[in-house]
Amino acid sequence: MQESKLLTEHYNKPDFTSLAGYKKYGGYQVLAKALKMEPKAIIEEVKNSGLRGRGGAGFPTGTKWSFLPNNGEPRYLLCNADEGEPGTFKDRLMMERAPHQLIEGMVISAFAVGSKKSYIYVRGEYDHSIAVLRGALKEAYDAGFLGKNILGSGFDHDMDVYQGAGAYICGEETGMISSLEGLKGQPKLKPPFPAIQGYLRKPTIVNNVETLAAVKYIIRDGAAAYRKYGTEKSAGTKLFSVSGNVVKPGNYEIPLGTPLKDVIFDLCGGLKPGRTLKAVIPGGSSAPVLTAEESMKATMDYECLAQMGSMLGSGAIIVIDDSNSMVDLLDVIMHFYHHESCGQCTPCREGTGWLAKIVHRIRSGAAEPKDIDLVEKVSKQMMGKTICALSDAAAMPAISFVTKFRSEFEAHMQKTRSAVGGSAHA
Amino acid sequence: MPRITINGKTVEVKEGSTIIQAFKESGQDICHYCWHPGLSVAGVCRLCMVQIEGMPRLQIACNTEVKDGMVVNNTSDTVKETVRWGLDFHLINHPLDCPICDQAGECGLQDQYMKFGSYDPEMAEKKVKKHKVVDLGPTVVLDSERCILCSRCVRFTDEVSKTHELGIFNRGDRSEIGTVEGKPLDNKYSLNTVDICPVGALTSKDFRFRQRVWYLKEGDTICSGCSTGCNVKVHFNEEGVWRVKPVYNKEVNGHWMCDEGRDTYKHVNLKVRMQAAQVGQSGAWQLIEPAEALRQVGPKIRDLAKTGKSDKISLLITGQYTNEEYESLFKMAKELKISKAYHWFNKAKDKDNFDGILLRGDRNPNTHGLLDAAKAHGIQLGSLEQFSSGASGAEMAIVAGPEDFAHFPELESILKAAAGAKLLVWLSSGVPNGLSEVSCETFAIPTKTYIEKMGSFTNHAGLKQCFKVATTIVPQALNLSEICELIQGRELNWALRPKAVGGAKANYAIAEQGAL
Repeated sequence: MQESKLLTEHYNKPDFTSLAGYKKYGGYQVLAKALKMEPKAIIEEVKNSGLRGRGGAGFPTGTKWSFLPNNGEPRYLLCNADEGEPGTFKDRLMMERAPHQLIEGMVISAFAVGSKKSYIYVRGEYDHSIAVLRGALKEAYDAGFLGKNILGSGFDHDMDVYQGAGAYICGEETGMISSLEGLKGQPKLKPPFPAIQGYLRKPTIVNNVETLAAVKYIIRDGAAAYRKYGTEKSAGTKLFSVSGNVVKPGNYEIPLGTPLKDVIFDLCGGLKPGRTLKAVIPGGSSAPVLTAEESMKATMDYECLAQMGSMLGSGAIIVIDDSNSMVDLLDVIMHFYHHESCGQCTPCREGTGWLAKIVHRIRSGAAEPKDIDLVEKVSKQMMGKTICALSDAAAMPAISFVTKFRSEFEAHMQKTRSAVGGSAHA
Repeated sequence: MPRITINGKTVEVKEGSTIIQAFKESGQDICHYCWHPGLSVAGVCRLCMVQIEGMPRLQIACNTEVKDGMVVNNTSDTVKETVRWGLDFHLINHPLDCPICDQAGECGLQDQYMKFGSYDPEMAEKKVKKHKVVDLGPTVVLDSERCILCSRCVRFTDEVSKTHELGIFNRGDRSEIGTVEGKPLDNKYSLNTVDICPVGALTSKDFRFRQRVWYLKEGDTICSGCSTGCNVKVHFNEEGVWRVKPVYNKEVNGHWMCDEGRDTYKHVNLKVRMQAAQVGQSGAWQLIEPAEALRQVGPKIRDLAKTGKSDKISLLITGQYTNEEYESLFKMAKELKISKAYHWFNKAKDKDNFDGILLRGDRNPNTHGLLDAAKAHGIQLGSLEQFSSGASGAEMAIVAGPEDFAHFPELESILKAAAGAKLLVWLSSGVPNGLSEVSCETFAIPTKTYIEKMGSFTNHAGLKQCFKVATTIVPQALNLSEICELIQGRELNWALRPKAVGGAKANYAIAEQGAL
């Protein structure tokens, strides 16, 4: 099968990062078109396109935009580029290969929602992305695509890049807002929601890099053309970051609704010789894991994965073959969430640590079967009980690992590790 | 006003109330740590979970506004299970060192576990190690392991004292309360953080390790530290009073009190008190029963009055007594035709200072009451300077002195000035420095402190607040009313006198029947 390159069409062209190169491939022409439209018409177009948030939650973008109150307060547009979900690396590619594509999409979006100031909040470790973005911002300002009276439309817009400090939780929209405000990166209580009171307690829209970039193409080709990709409820194309035990890992842009089987065995060149598929994490480390059998039936869209009890998330497909131990993997994942919990809400602060300790003990062979049940019990009590979804993000993989691969966990009780493979260290 | 149903009971609450407020108002139990009525909502302990009809997930009651017709419960099995686990999450890394913890007996974790928990813990891992005995500042010590990170103390320093000393450092289960180097927890309200700490993480340097709280009794009174008149309770046992804590009063002090007010227990305890009347003069003192001393000095005062020499008696009064005591004093003055009365206004130049929160420059509980009573009796109060300059050579000076010496730096010089009279009647709860050197004939009489009497103080705003006897430390001490009675030759009902030190029960009879 082939990729459907809509956003990534020109990513292989080295000059696409510069303004000159970007303009060569039609850059900023959509902005000119958009600035002549009514902002409401843009929002309507985005609504009709069926675009859903590409950061993980999959909330309809146009609907989110229409939550903004008409109270005359300044509005902010924040681009969430704090790509922290383990397994995800698509936003980085988008920022490094096509910074102007993001800027153009953001100015169009800002015009639609009536925002005069936007920030791109970039993950702390992405030094190169930040350098590329900063260079592109300067070019865009110099060329009049940012600043006062953009392209003579009378619309003013300023944009800044903000470097995060490397915290996973700052990818959660209110955590990101706290961080941008100069506070400790901790999610805020909702209500009030960011659309009502966000950055500096003003109405704020937070969208993912890919979402904002996609807006450009929806305005360029129209909602109907965008809807030609994907399924009824999952319209458009999406970038998937494939990692793990495949021959050709990497970023792939495909229409939503593509069978996972095709992604793994066709696009990514399948598994290494002699290996068999054990499991797939379809949407980043917080998505519940699918067994090999399930993943052969899965299609990569919001509704199919939700129906299978997992989620599309940020589109990070982690392929696991029989050379890995699920116990080792869960140990690593639990260590991650324990490390990244902000510590605000008690169930998450204490639960992530507790889970990490139990799973580590299981891995080291010092556990009893009842500890497997305890992982499940603790996880269930962490779900839906906290301010943000980090607690759920830790609980969901834990529950799915111990229920779907219980025998591997049980094997660790009997200390017959050879039966499941994986590293012997713990 | 919205009407909502809580656990089957319909209640009407104020528009804009949260569900937790509705629970509290309707007197129903709800488990919580981080919510505090005097602070903003943090929503982090996740214990006040309730089930709201029509909502798929449990919601926290502290951040959910009531809507008319809401049906809420916290008694369903799902809620109970969630709260039980919520408590367990709080306790898995808590050291459970109750036997050596100061908070034991008044601990949120203990209380809520007994009410909502009662489970067998399944935690089998090693607990997280954190800092112990962290010196946060001059008043407060932190034990991070006991801390449940409810953030109440952080919010207090941000929102109430506005001093911003505290913060939560690090993340996840490594989070700890702390201060920035060079900026310790040092403000006039710091000890409120100890009160609102639901566990034994923050402890008061002044109180820690001194008493087990379950051995303490408590009595309500009004703080005597300044003219704000914070509502407080004092905690005491047979050995004396150990601490003062605020009691909520929306009109006066809200939930808080200042650190200085908490020191007002220090002048009531036995070792700083005058325990018997000291009669005589320099080199020839005798300790006698206060009542006996008054029986001796009473006729002398009455004789002066009878012989028309009342104008040779000067009366000096501090703002530390109750309205009822001033009433007796001025009545006596009228009866004995004493017209020269002076107001001992300590720190008078600071009297209008106010820190914007609670503490006022007038460090007397009842200056307002004194001025009101004097006015009602048509008595013109002279100034302290007028008293000092006129005292020398007078026949007699009667000084209704202070009980809390800490705010009377001029005490010794006033005592010296008053001793210029031929006869001095000195009333105070403690023994002032320099008393033994006084060379005129002196009757020093011990008075009761604010925790030992009933009556009322009128605060800076003119609000009259009544209080009962909290306990008795020096049973032989007398209040001004009793002293006036004895001076005028009338006996007290001795059967009603407090007999033992401490023990609120014994004193309640006095309070109810009226010692005044």
